[in-house]
Amino acid sequence: MTGRKIRPRWSVSFLAVVRYELLWNIRKKKVLGVLILAFAIATITLVLPVVLNNLNNLPTELNPNYVINTGTSISGVFMFIFALVTVMNSISGEFESGSIVPLITKPVSRTTVYLGKISSAILTLLGAYVLLIVYIALGGSIIYGPQNNLHLLSVSLLGSILSTLLWMAIVLAMGSVSKSSMLAALAGVGIYFGLNIAAGILSLFSNQAWILTYAPGSGASGYIKGLTPINPQTGTPIGGVSTGTDTIAATLITYILHPASEVTFFRLEFLLGSQRFNPVDLYTEPLFLVVARSIAVALVYIFAFNFIAWYAFKRAQVAE
Amino acid sequence: MSLAIETVNLTKRYGRLTAVDKLTLNVSANTVHGFLGPNGAGKTTTIKVLVGLLRPDEGVARIFGQEVSGDKPDVRSRIGYVPELPKFPKHLKGWELLDIYGRMYGLSQQERRDQLPKLFELVGLKGRENDLIGKYSKGMQQRLGIAQALLNDPQLVILDEPSLGLDPVGMVEVRELIKGVAKEGMTVFLSSHLLFEVQQVCSHVTIIHKGVTLASDTIEKVSHKIRGPTALQIEVTKLTKTLVENLRKLPFVTEVKTEDNKLNIMLETRDDIRPQVSETITNSGGTIVSMNLVGHSLEEVFVQLVGKAEEKEGGKTQ
Repeated sequence: MTGRKIRPRWSVSFLAVVRYELLWNIRKKKVLGVLILAFAIATITLVLPVVLNNLNNLPTELNPNYVINTGTSISGVFMFIFALVTVMNSISGEFESGSIVPLITKPVSRTTVYLGKISSAILTLLGAYVLLIVYIALGGSIIYGPQNNLHLLSVSLLGSILSTLLWMAIVLAMGSVSKSSMLAALAGVGIYFGLNIAAGILSLFSNQAWILTYAPGSGASGYIKGLTPINPQTGTPIGGVSTGTDTIAATLITYILHPASEVTFFRLEFLLGSQRFNPVDLYTEPLFLVVARSIAVALVYIFAFNFIAWYAFKRAQVAE
Repeated sequence: MSLAIETVNLTKRYGRLTAVDKLTLNVSANTVHGFLGPNGAGKTTTIKVLVGLLRPDEGVARIFGQEVSGDKPDVRSRIGYVPELPKFPKHLKGWELLDIYGRMYGLSQQERRDQLPKLFELVGLKGRENDLIGKYSKGMQQRLGIAQALLNDPQLVILDEPSLGLDPVGMVEVRELIKGVAKEGMTVFLSSHLLFEVQQVCSHVTIIHKGVTLASDTIEKVSHKIRGPTALQIEVTKLTKTLVENLRKLPFVTEVKTEDNKLNIMLETRDDIRPQVSETITNSGGTIVSMNLVGHSLEEVFVQLVGKAEEKEGGKTQ
């Protein structure tokens, strides 16, 4: 009897945890469900204009910017839901089921287990987003003709992953601290919708929209003069730029395409006489600053919440 | 003899409840050591401290001389641990799980290929390797738990109630498995509330109650220390009336029963009185053919110890 005393190399243990977690992620019904839903929505977004045009006997015009303008902007709510279903039970679920016991009594440090789990979540995310973006790019090219700036899809991918990682970190921290998947999900949903509702109100109706620059989510609303389309009837910008961490991908692409742009932030003022909202400019910032700050804010939150999740996991005792 | 497990004044509290109270435990290497106690005695808590799932509030726990408090993968690389009613991820297949755990132990691909089929066969899961664990019964998960604990050819195997969830045949198989593991030179630390299991499998035993050690030694010595030998069974060449009367006169003898040439002498002492008995028989003209010291069963000892501990506690609270 030899008795194996030598610990494996760190990379071997780490990859074992990644494999353990990845097999779980790709077999989670919730993850598959959200992915199918995402593909269904992408398909509808691609095909619906063509169907409507055909019904009205109108030709579908070629649009070389379709993919870069619409297809790469994975919506904030989808990113949040994907983050939620991927990691809501990564740690807490193992505590709830008891499968954490055989896992953390193996000769692998808890830090390695944590890093393996988060890496596996990123790989799952990467796989899903690559599939989705390639699908949209192919579909867009087939329906709307040859596309411009397809090389920027990688930037879009990077931005979307960064945005989603923030929500993942928040949900992981909630799960790791509470050791309850239900609490992690509820807290995550509460934070997401709370911030979005607050952001909407603060951004459009107060002078304090700058606060949102430092919060996760949709952020403060702004527009780029000469670039953002303006509704001729209401005078309000359509689309535009946001300081939020959810829109890093879109803001980053806008910056790469129009690096010298400046973003004017505004709020809406209700005009009694005309019974409509009128946009009132608040302040202007270079687009570079908006992008850089969004990325920095996202990174700080990702680091902070991951630290909380890791620390809670590292210190956790398994009494039950 | 070197120690596989050593705890010194180990204490673990859950709020106001002291689950383990200044427990001092010594488990020698290459022994099969039973850890016996009623439900809630603190057995699982002690084991959880040993494998790093819980941090002690006071005291020290060591495995092969290395402290276990905190996240110590080095220590865990020498242990195989079967948790009480083990739970594994349901989304993995049995083979996948052992393969991944094998990687965590640093087994090469070849080692895993060699080891895994043997383990599945050993624990009676051959043919079910590629089923999802979600489809395994409790008993099958228990068997898988034993298999994963033996993956790394450990120096110390810690089993927490390994017979829970098993059918009678499975229980016998597990006992045989533990005996086999012990023969291969591993140290086995077996926590159980099943007295016959410990008596059949273990050479040593520690009995705890409410987190406190009541007795710890070889099973024979524990039985002997607590109540002393119950009886001496002696066979002589020729049984005479004088011989029986002389034996009855001995101060530690409570009763002498006879049958043919056999004597069953009931005793009331903790000392080894065999020389005195032997001398009395010889002086009475008898010749001894055989002499056996018959001790109490572990069950009797256990009941006596726990009963005494509860009596003491009752006295304190009154």
